[in-house]
Amino acid sequence: MSTKKQTTLRVGETHVQAVRDTFPGVVLDATWQAEDQVTITIPVDMLPDVVEFLYYGRGGWLPNMVANDERPLRGCYVLYYLLSMEESDPGFVVVRAEVDPNTMEYPSVTPRVPACVWSEREAFDMFGLRAVGLPDERRLVLPDDWLEDLYPLRKDSMDYRRRPAPVTDVEDYTFLYEGNAEETTQVPMGPLHITSDEPGHFRLFVEGEDIIDADYRLFYVHRGMEKVAESRLSYDAVTFLADRICGICGNAHSVAYAEAVENAQGIEVPLRGQYIRSILLEVERLHSHLLNLGLVCHYCGFDTGFQHFFRVREKTMDLAVLLTGARKTYGLNLIGGVRRDILDEQKLATIKYVRELRNEVEALVDMLVSTANFESRTAGIGRLDPAVARDYSPVGPAVRGSGIARDVRFDHPFDGYKFLVGMSARSHDGCDVQSRTLVRVEEFMDSLDMIEQLLDGAPEGPIQTENWQYTPHKYALGYTEAPRGEDMHWAMVGDNQKCYRWRAKAATYSNWPILRYMLRGNTVADAAIIVGSMDPCYSCTDRVTVVDVNKKSSTVLTKDQLEGYCRRRTHSPLAGKGW
Amino acid sequence: MTIIVAILQAVLLVTLAPLFSGITRKIRAKMHSRKGTSIMQDYYDLAKLWRRCEVKEGGSGIISRLTPPIFLGSFILVAAGLPLVMQACPVPFLGDIITVLYLMALPRFMFALGSIDSAGSYTAIGGVRELLVGVLVEPSLILVLFVAAIAAGSTNLGIMANAVGTLQAYPFVAIVVAGVACAMACYIEMGKLPFDLAEAEQEIQEGPLAAYSGPSLAMIKLGVSVKQLVVASLFVAIFLPFGAATTAAPLDLLVGLVSFLFKLLIVMLIASVIENSVMRARYKYLGRYTWFVVGIASLSLVFLVIGI
Repeated sequence: MSTKKQTTLRVGETHVQAVRDTFPGVVLDATWQAEDQVTITIPVDMLPDVVEFLYYGRGGWLPNMVANDERPLRGCYVLYYLLSMEESDPGFVVVRAEVDPNTMEYPSVTPRVPACVWSEREAFDMFGLRAVGLPDERRLVLPDDWLEDLYPLRKDSMDYRRRPAPVTDVEDYTFLYEGNAEETTQVPMGPLHITSDEPGHFRLFVEGEDIIDADYRLFYVHRGMEKVAESRLSYDAVTFLADRICGICGNAHSVAYAEAVENAQGIEVPLRGQYIRSILLEVERLHSHLLNLGLVCHYCGFDTGFQHFFRVREKTMDLAVLLTGARKTYGLNLIGGVRRDILDEQKLATIKYVRELRNEVEALVDMLVSTANFESRTAGIGRLDPAVARDYSPVGPAVRGSGIARDVRFDHPFDGYKFLVGMSARSHDGCDVQSRTLVRVEEFMDSLDMIEQLLDGAPEGPIQTENWQYTPHKYALGYTEAPRGEDMHWAMVGDNQKCYRWRAKAATYSNWPILRYMLRGNTVADAAIIVGSMDPCYSCTDRVTVVDVNKKSSTVLTKDQLEGYCRRRTHSPLAGKGW
Repeated sequence: MTIIVAILQAVLLVTLAPLFSGITRKIRAKMHSRKGTSIMQDYYDLAKLWRRCEVKEGGSGIISRLTPPIFLGSFILVAAGLPLVMQACPVPFLGDIITVLYLMALPRFMFALGSIDSAGSYTAIGGVRELLVGVLVEPSLILVLFVAAIAAGSTNLGIMANAVGTLQAYPFVAIVVAGVACAMACYIEMGKLPFDLAEAEQEIQEGPLAAYSGPSLAMIKLGVSVKQLVVASLFVAIFLPFGAATTAAPLDLLVGLVSFLFKLLIVMLIASVIENSVMRARYKYLGRYTWFVVGIASLSLVFLVIGI
């Protein structure tokens, strides 16, 4: 293969050629949006065949599918199936198909490639596009009390401020049961559960304490960010909105969005800017992984470990303060680079922090692994079968704990990761909670090494560029490896300096569909730790509800009040106002 | 005269229970590297709960209303009967091991019954788990007390305590082994980590406790603290009676009281250190731990039979 490969061949060309050879006459068009991204247009009825061929036949994985209302541009809806090719010729192949706005139907890919299930359900909720043959046609994103025929992301459907009145008072979501046992008890876990602190309704079908099957309803905190981005913000302000997708890994989203636009517009980020982006992404990983290691302890009923991991985690927050001025790595990204440089004294201080963290975390991990019951609580629990993983394209430590070393940082190196030496993706093949925890431990240590390497390797120079030509309606992918796995953003800018369509896929969005398989065969007692081992991020998944700007009960705080509160840390100005 | 001692020691245990759990909380905070709340916090919590109004689950009956007072009351009754400050039972008919064991089984029974009398699915799981702990632990406890009773020649706790305290209990090795088994069984019975299965917060959202509120919850919470003290005292009373008063003279009683509180504090300290350095046992594997305890308890019986 590699001998035949000529230097002039573009990334993804072998895949396009393979599709041409297997399905003659199907590829109507192939265009490259960026060096490693090609989009092929095919007739809509060929979707299942081509996506299945690329997925199973060519070593592709499917982050998600993006639906887009392009009626104002070319009179049709368009579907983009994003495929990350990870075996030979790594890169991204996007399969594009146009859907007739009169029928609003396309053949479902889910029966062939299960990884599409959530995207196709979402395409119906948001656009009313019906996947014919989709086994599960329940609502995914919209609440049960939403209107029957209002599809929020259609360009002509609604203003982003509109709040339609609920059409029903009852939650009538049906939970699907796929087990064999005839008599099971249903145990609801959530929508508010004591250990998950974020809303998600899990329905466990149990016999005694054994879980036979599980189903879940999420998106209780859907924020409608995509709609807001399209209607209210200019495209270069969306980096800051993308930060707010997640309370933990916002920076990863912000970078992914920025790179989507940069890739589409051909904007070259200066080298130093690329290094700084990677350093900040790794700082984010540090505190996120410590959070999860602490939570693993908590779910096992070992609060001592939980508190100690959180004590050490405080140091990673201090590191974030040092580098960004805030405890979260927020607000640092712009289209074209970053806003803040790392000075020499900050570099020295960072290296000092990194050394301290390495020692403290090593000691803590030793303590955790040697704690009584750690083995029995985590080994063999929440098994994710590699075959299920292959079908559903999960990401991050969840899949790496099942022996599949998928990691965007190494599969599709971007930013500073291109310059790392001697590193590779971590994986363990126990397929259980323990493996996923150990992957996180090793990745934490790797992150420390990466930060040191990146700090040493960063060249002098500018950190952002401001010279680029804005071309409307160009689109591309941006991707990062967030602590929980790959974040995939697809963005198309419009002719009004706004996003025409922005689709942010958070890591956890890819992981939810496999949870059902991880829960099966375990006990109610282990449910929390299994959900936790995936390190789910509800708000990430639920990225898209509009904050009601005209809410009557909203409280406006003055700057003085806020600053005073920051100093005193007592007498919250919001106290007694329903917060 | 001794009836006054009985009442006083019951009152003492009830008033001290929140203090002891407050101390436990403080130790936990220290081991967590936290500052922690005041050791008086449990008193504040109880006072606050007591003032709150009671919310009853729809459809719940008389059982769940009776559970809190019976739960608390049984343990107070046990506390009155144990030979704590004296090496004799203040109220002889309350100090028989059969009575004590049944008095300790009653609240468990009510607790499990109360958990079924609730619509919550987690409460029922908690009740089942509580019964499971009972089924697995009680046999060892009974066996151990039986060994001690044979060795002392009586089922009265006071006489047993006296026999152990004056080192007249025979055979000696059997008593020591029984003491070890009793300590382990009592630890599991206290419901601390890793054996707090019935109330596991992360797993089943505190189980049956979730169904109670206000004064009922206060009674249950106080009951749980008193239970921990009573179970620890049971062990202390039989196997560590040293220092307890042999006569009812005021000075002896005072010495007995001080030494009892000291011993209790040591036991609770050890228990809370263990509690904070382990993960919760998987409820499926509880049997493995209790088999171990049953093994040691049986060993003491063997030693008793062969007389060493």
